Amino acid sequence: MHLIAARHFAILPLLIGIQAAAPACAAEPAATDVTPGEKLFALRVQTLFVEKCHACHGADPDDLGGEFDMRDRISMRKGGESFGGEVLLPGDAKKSHLYLVTTRQEAGYEMPPKEAEKLTEEQTWWIRDWINLGAPWPSDERIAAIKNEFAEGVTAPTSGGLNANWTNRRYEPEHLWAYQPIEVESVPSDQHPIDYFIDRRLAAAKLTAAADAEPMKLLRRISFDLTGLPPSEDLASRTNFVESYELNAAGAVTDLVQRLMSTPHYGEHFGRQWLDVARYADSAGFANDYSRPNAWRYRDYVVRAFNNDKPYDQFVREQIAGDEITTASPESLVATGFLRMGPWEQTGMSVFRVTRQQWLDDVTDSVGQVFMGHALQCAKCHDHKFDPVPTRDYYSMMAIFSTTQFSEPATPFLDSENQTGFQKSNQWTTAKITAYQKQLDELQATVGQARRKETGNAKIGDNGLSPGDEASLGRMRKNIGRHTWELDRTRPIAYAVHTGKTFERKNVSNRLRLPQNVWGEGYIEDDTILVGGDAFTRGESVKPAPLSAAVNLGNMDVKEFPAGKGKRRLALANWIVDPKNPLTARVMVNRIWSWHFGKGIAGNPNNFGGTGRLPTHPALLDFLADWFVKNNWSVKRLNELIVTSKAYRRSSRHHDPAELKKLDPKQALYATQQPRRLTAEELRDAMLAASGELNRQIGGIPCRPDLNLEVAMQPRQIMGGTASVYEPDASPQQRNRRTLYAEKTRGLRDPFMETFNQPGPDKSCELRETSTVAPQALTLMNSDEAQDRAIAMAARLLKQGSSPQDVLKRAFEIALGRQAQADELQACLAHWNAATKEETLKTYQPRHYPSETQRTVMAEKTGEPYEFLEIMPAYDHYVPDLQPSDVDANTRGLAQVCLVIFNLNEFAYLD
Amino acid sequence: MNQFENSDSHSRREMLYGLGASLGSVALTSLLNAEESASDANDTSTGGPHFPAKAKRCIFLMMEGGPSQIDTFDPKPELSKRHLQEFNRSGDEQSAMSSGKRYFVKSPFEFHQAGECGADICTEWVHLSKRVDDICFYRGAQAESVNHPTACYHINTGNRFGGDPAIGAWTTYGLGTINENLPGFVVLPRSSYPQGGAANWSNGFLPAAYQGTPLRPQGSPILDLRPPNGVSRERQRNNLDLLAQLNNSHLQQRTGRTELEARMNSYELAFRMQTEIPEILELDGEDKSTLEMYGIGHDKTDAFGRKCLLARRLVEKGVRFVQAYAGNWDSHDYIQRAHGSLIRSVDQPIAALLKDLKQRGMLKDTLVFFCGEFGRTPDNGMRGGGKSYGRDHNAKAMTMWFAGGGVRGGHTLGATDEIGLEAVENVHPLRDVHVTLLKLLGLDDNRLTYYHAGRFKQLSQFGGTAIEELIA
Repeated sequence: MHLIAARHFAILPLLIGIQAAAPACAAEPAATDVTPGEKLFALRVQTLFVEKCHACHGADPDDLGGEFDMRDRISMRKGGESFGGEVLLPGDAKKSHLYLVTTRQEAGYEMPPKEAEKLTEEQTWWIRDWINLGAPWPSDERIAAIKNEFAEGVTAPTSGGLNANWTNRRYEPEHLWAYQPIEVESVPSDQHPIDYFIDRRLAAAKLTAAADAEPMKLLRRISFDLTGLPPSEDLASRTNFVESYELNAAGAVTDLVQRLMSTPHYGEHFGRQWLDVARYADSAGFANDYSRPNAWRYRDYVVRAFNNDKPYDQFVREQIAGDEITTASPESLVATGFLRMGPWEQTGMSVFRVTRQQWLDDVTDSVGQVFMGHALQCAKCHDHKFDPVPTRDYYSMMAIFSTTQFSEPATPFLDSENQTGFQKSNQWTTAKITAYQKQLDELQATVGQARRKETGNAKIGDNGLSPGDEASLGRMRKNIGRHTWELDRTRPIAYAVHTGKTFERKNVSNRLRLPQNVWGEGYIEDDTILVGGDAFTRGESVKPAPLSAAVNLGNMDVKEFPAGKGKRRLALANWIVDPKNPLTARVMVNRIWSWHFGKGIAGNPNNFGGTGRLPTHPALLDFLADWFVKNNWSVKRLNELIVTSKAYRRSSRHHDPAELKKLDPKQALYATQQPRRLTAEELRDAMLAASGELNRQIGGIPCRPDLNLEVAMQPRQIMGGTASVYEPDASPQQRNRRTLYAEKTRGLRDPFMETFNQPGPDKSCELRETSTVAPQALTLMNSDEAQDRAIAMAARLLKQGSSPQDVLKRAFEIALGRQAQADELQACLAHWNAATKEETLKTYQPRHYPSETQRTVMAEKTGEPYEFLEIMPAYDHYVPDLQPSDVDANTRGLAQVCLVIFNLNEFAYLD
Repeated sequence: MNQFENSDSHSRREMLYGLGASLGSVALTSLLNAEESASDANDTSTGGPHFPAKAKRCIFLMMEGGPSQIDTFDPKPELSKRHLQEFNRSGDEQSAMSSGKRYFVKSPFEFHQAGECGADICTEWVHLSKRVDDICFYRGAQAESVNHPTACYHINTGNRFGGDPAIGAWTTYGLGTINENLPGFVVLPRSSYPQGGAANWSNGFLPAAYQGTPLRPQGSPILDLRPPNGVSRERQRNNLDLLAQLNNSHLQQRTGRTELEARMNSYELAFRMQTEIPEILELDGEDKSTLEMYGIGHDKTDAFGRKCLLARRLVEKGVRFVQAYAGNWDSHDYIQRAHGSLIRSVDQPIAALLKDLKQRGMLKDTLVFFCGEFGRTPDNGMRGGGKSYGRDHNAKAMTMWFAGGGVRGGHTLGATDEIGLEAVENVHPLRDVHVTLLKLLGLDDNRLTYYHAGRFKQLSQFGGTAIEELIA
């Protein structure tokens, strides 16, 4: 029953269309006497064949899957090796394997083979009905005429695909939403624009929104959302907020938002969110995982940009083309570090053309995702399957970067850059180098002596050397080189790019200086399509150009981009921030929205294409995009607009959960605020804040917090040896800085961060994931990080010398931002007492921190393990955090309560 | 409206796991969701195998560094003739390492034909030579990268540049876990991590529950598994009780918040793991002859023997996928000594694993896979003017082998050219090896997909062809 009805639904519009057909335009050849079968073929079936089948059955006539060619009716009637002439029996779909395989009934013969590409039921009916209608196959001209007259959907004008069929393909209009010019609805002047759009959808759904959040909960939410830190512990300021909130909620929130955004912690928190998108790390990844000693200046540039409320258009222009705007401004140069944030290396074992191409692909795709909400990699090997992004566009975009080269030019420090700790950092690095050099000199003397005694055909081991000796020589030299490069960390150098000729390098293991003449040595790369994405197969030439669909559909002015020695990136940057660009403002506004609500208005902040989730509130998104541009691209103003809306301020609890679930099952209507778990960084920072240990200094060279000791000592293989052990900073102040500043080494992730879903820095992260797994519980209960914070918090609470009751009350206030209930106090007090009793019976030895360590690794040349001694200068002056041995049993007992508090759902989640 | 938005059950899962922007096409059976999936029994996307398969679990013996096919399972007598002859290789696609002045190197090892099947194997493999009738050697695979980290990422995740899920993550994502007290995907790394680090067993864009859990050979097997010194199990229990009490009253005001309940459960699971994991690691319960069989207690074989025995114990306990690392096989110089030593350190343990699994009736549904990230060249570079008889990296030829569930044992498939430089017969790229591994485990690479960054992703990246000749 259903099937029949549905079938008619599918085909009926086509039939009606024909009866109504009349020559539409005299200039075009009219399609007269079109049969339903022809029409079905021209409008549906042919495109289906091309998109779903030709990759194996037609694209390469010399390599046909199953010897079956689907490019014309004669070949199709012939069939292939599996079914021969039974593939297509015109008039009899039920016996035609062409149809049967699409129904996926028979195992091993499902077509297309990929589940993700299987045909919808309706699509299989098109094939069935076409066969039953005689499988007509009109000429190309006639197909064009039929399409011209009857096709549904819309075309998207682009620079053109690799074939005409792709170029003329049609899209469902809603999938092209992101390319359409922004349409702004006017909002009544007495209404908050966000609430205007949100409330009318709620009203349409007949759903009542949740009440306002309670002030203390809201205070905690806003503090974390804007600064990544808990609210001020100052009781007066909290009370003040609660009182003024009750008098005038909107006014109190506005004051709070402005106050929080005026602290530098705002820029730290928003910077961290941007750095997720930009994939910030302090090392290069892969075999050597070399340090990027000056990357931190880009991190601080981002923090400053948010703190200074740098207009977003300027922020974009600097990151894409700062060096082409001016090389005179350090900010401008440092900003271009963005283009080099992905993992990359060139070693003697890699082929330059391949690693160069790897970066070109990476930067093209990243710029697409980050600024335009488009993952472009899909168009690297073929025209995009879902979006109007032809391969030509991909390579035209890539051509913009083909004269972009890596360099680390001398770039003076700004007054606003934090230069503290330089001396200590250099001291440690130098001590490390000196220690290796001393070991190396000694070993070289031994090896030299042994080698002098060698006979002609000596094998390793014959000369009296221990297996690790030769391996150690390489390891030491390597690490001396690595640490020497790290000395650049405190030098006025920018991790940046310049425009110039491409210069082949065999191996990059040191700073890349800016060439005297950037157009001297080297070559200007040919800008071509690479056939199938292969770096060595050049196709048609292309010119630097932006996404053609955005230009055409967004009604942007067409501007020629410079080629040759021109400023290609600057042209792109200007194009991206052109107020007529339909993508840019929408993308950023959507990101900022997602940072406040945990999800974007469009569900995939890095993907505004046809496969991304469509916006739930398109009119709101457009309003905000337009508002953002009109407000000088000010992120701070946008934040204020969002946080002062009622939608943001709502409680996360609904008065009628059943009703909510019924009327808004996907939670898309913003009837409540979404609770969220703190991010990994927020969790650690919040513990440090509660323990009173948090060093709130802004910016500067990366700090090295205490890392799980087993991970810190874990031998880490790098090319030609073993990387140095991880040594934390010697002083607690430096270690206990905000997590944002912790050195981020691609090959050595902090297990605490990783466990709590800090994304890996290899790919752009559009939104944090929150998963709940058992290792998180182990980390938060058992790690030194959590234990140390608990001890410090307990000691801090007891310093004030108040009654046990008051101590526990204060613990709740500090950690959870609320008053403790009587039963909670009672339970905690009992727990404290019991734990203290146990602790009284225990004695603790101070932890010992040796300044050298014995390590064991495998020597490549012998296949046998060898041991070596590594010197750890950081531990010469290491000052540990407060330890159990430093405090009394009462403090240790209270620390058990503090530890439990750190593990509470209430601590980890914002309402 | 949107093909990727799904029914109610998905939003529940999303809430529970916070999958955020990504939705899977296969069910998310995992460490924590046994109860959840039970209540979701009618969710059509619930996982499990795509087609019947003999292998239910996999042990992946990762020979890190790139073992030489020429010195293990693919003899090349021609090299004896060309030994020390010089030649040059050049061209755009050559790296600094593979170009310049070079010379051929013969294998320093003897070969024999072992087992009823007469498999070629170097005589250093004393123990494995007795198990070749269970093994299918495959000489046709080709990798794409000659750099360790990119090649390791490739064999492990299907993507040379890292960041994608490892095959163990895909497998547990597809098949789910059997023992909810244990991770579904366990890694037994060497004491030094491979180049590229833990990204080699990453969950990539899959939910974190599918991440490989390394059981560390030294120190705490799982980080922070045990409470710090001075904290007794009773103290821990008391802490958890207070935690549960306070969490409960918090939860009562937030009914229906499944993620809060899930988090509370995760503490109890962690508490159980604290006893469960050490029990598995405790090899004392094994009888002496078993320990002896694996070479445990003997200098040379102890380390990998423990890994192999542990691998068996883990799969026995319901772990779906175990990956054990051995190496480093990167013998650019002195291959006789280096490879000889490595073969001796893994030979007995691996043979014991195969024998043990077979004795226990587990080999028939356990897939054992042995490979490195690439093979090695028949020649060596003139480094420092010396002739230290080693081999460089080679992506065009390698030997890997399969044994156990669903594998056509006692066969050698594919072939390389006369000097072992390139595979020439039954040649397949690594993605086909991945498709084959999944198929042996009952999973269809084309259906084991996950929507991420604009498209459905899969282990093989773009699809591949199973090497049917490998499958029994």
